[in-house]
Amino acid sequence: MKTDKFFIFVFMFLGSILVLFLTIPLIKLFMSVGALSMYQTLQDKEVYDSIFLTLKSAFYAVVFVCITGIPLAYLIARYDFWGKSILESVLDIPVMVPHTAAGIALLVAFSNGYIDFIDTTTGIVSAMMFLSAPFLINGAKEGFKKVDVKYEYVARTLGASRLRAFFSIALPNARNDIINGALMMWSRGLGEFGAVVIIAYHPMVAPVLIYDRFNNFGLKYSAPVAADMILVSVCLFLAIRYVNNRLR
Amino acid sequence: MLKIENLFLKKGNFILGQLSFEVEKNSYFVILGRTGSGKTMLLESLAGIQNIEGKIFCGDIEVSHLAPEKRNFGFVYQDFALFPNMNVRDNIKYSSKYKKIENKEALFDDIVSFLRIENILDRDIRYLSGGEKQRVAMARAIYSRPKLLLLDEPLSAVDPTFRNSIMKSLKDIVKRYDMTIIHVTHNFREASFLADKVAVLLDGKILQIGDAYEVLNKPKNIEVAKFLGFKNIFPATILGFEQKDRYFTVDPTKISFGDKKREDVYSFECVIENILGMSEHYKVFAKVEDEIFFCKVHHSAFDGKELKEGMKTNMYIDKKDVAFI
Repeated sequence: MKTDKFFIFVFMFLGSILVLFLTIPLIKLFMSVGALSMYQTLQDKEVYDSIFLTLKSAFYAVVFVCITGIPLAYLIARYDFWGKSILESVLDIPVMVPHTAAGIALLVAFSNGYIDFIDTTTGIVSAMMFLSAPFLINGAKEGFKKVDVKYEYVARTLGASRLRAFFSIALPNARNDIINGALMMWSRGLGEFGAVVIIAYHPMVAPVLIYDRFNNFGLKYSAPVAADMILVSVCLFLAIRYVNNRLR
Repeated sequence: MLKIENLFLKKGNFILGQLSFEVEKNSYFVILGRTGSGKTMLLESLAGIQNIEGKIFCGDIEVSHLAPEKRNFGFVYQDFALFPNMNVRDNIKYSSKYKKIENKEALFDDIVSFLRIENILDRDIRYLSGGEKQRVAMARAIYSRPKLLLLDEPLSAVDPTFRNSIMKSLKDIVKRYDMTIIHVTHNFREASFLADKVAVLLDGKILQIGDAYEVLNKPKNIEVAKFLGFKNIFPATILGFEQKDRYFTVDPTKISFGDKKREDVYSFECVIENILGMSEHYKVFAKVEDEIFFCKVHHSAFDGKELKEGMKTNMYIDKKDVAFI
């Protein structure tokens, strides 16, 4: 089994290069900022408000896409219809376009005076939603595809209506993929900068605040905000994953 | 109890129908057919899962356009389709959330005791054997008190050692829970043990329907005979009949051999093509005209005859052993 060991060693070596590339910047950031500075920065109302606004806006975006995108994902997963592949391609467009271009498109489409869009939470939520919705929709779609449609058929022969079979069988059995998709969407929304900065420079979400402080005051003032934002996001992410695994 | 009139369903290139048949109340009705013949599609059509043309009556009520939850037909799939997000108990009791079930606690206790699943009620369905899954799926369907129970190859994923006991339970369900069962399978043994009536479904069409003994022993056409595993299906012209569209079949164990031509039986000159020795009998392939007859000759009958490959001899078939198709 010498060949096996060599094979595993090569793969581990290659994989560890990427793991180090991904983790070193974060570790360096936390080490250079320090715990005290991170704590003091969190006391700054502007930073606190900005992180809270970012978390809240991303959460609103996820809730809206849960209500509208999960039914859509179910239809795509369960039915074949004319234009289905076009619809799926359209839903993936936001992943491909430059984020600033998406911001401009949203601005053109919705800054018509009917919706209070520019420099508002609504605008921020829209920008986050536009660019990150595919993560939740695709996650839910894959989740529903894994749930055998026969479960719902049987549920209906046992007296459940179409809607009840969806809520009692399809949704709970696709839950893990939906939650993973929601987490991906939420975390993608937290990091959204390009589209948000076009639509709403103020109120500042964390990525805009980091950019603003870096531009006006330099690395020393922006790094603690970045470290705080990353720490809060990672903690929330792990907490949701933990709760989901406990409920499984 | 159940009456189907001109049921028709098209899915891609496959066509089911037009099917018309009746199932009597409290009877065990088996639909026999090979894989891909439309058995599951037929059950799903009856359950309301597939949109069909034609009419389905349950008693005097037409149910063709009712949603599955309004028909009160239970369904057990081949792979049982137990809900993965529920344990055994919750799977069985699922219907009680949506239907009014009389004496539900007593019924639940009776079903779990009848199907011997008392010890697995709190188990996750991932940790059940094939036989346990089958019994839980049956319990779940029975607990919903359906008038008609549709079983889609319910024994195919069950260990052969448990099949007999499960077949016995299936047979008992009809009287014990006052329901009618339609069971689809490709297994003749299941059909002959369980069925009051049998329908043979091939390529989306019912080719024969009737009492189980009648269908399984007297096929009406060649397709059914071949499907039921009948050997030696040949044109009746070999026997001297003139109708070219008439065929006959003979059981391989009813064919014998001898030196002389006989008048009291069908007697043919034949050439022994091949002989295979088995534990209890010899398989003999004998050529008559252009047809090869398959015969099973028991050791005791074979030993005195000294049949050899290539030899010319006479083959006998008793007239009472010939079944015309």
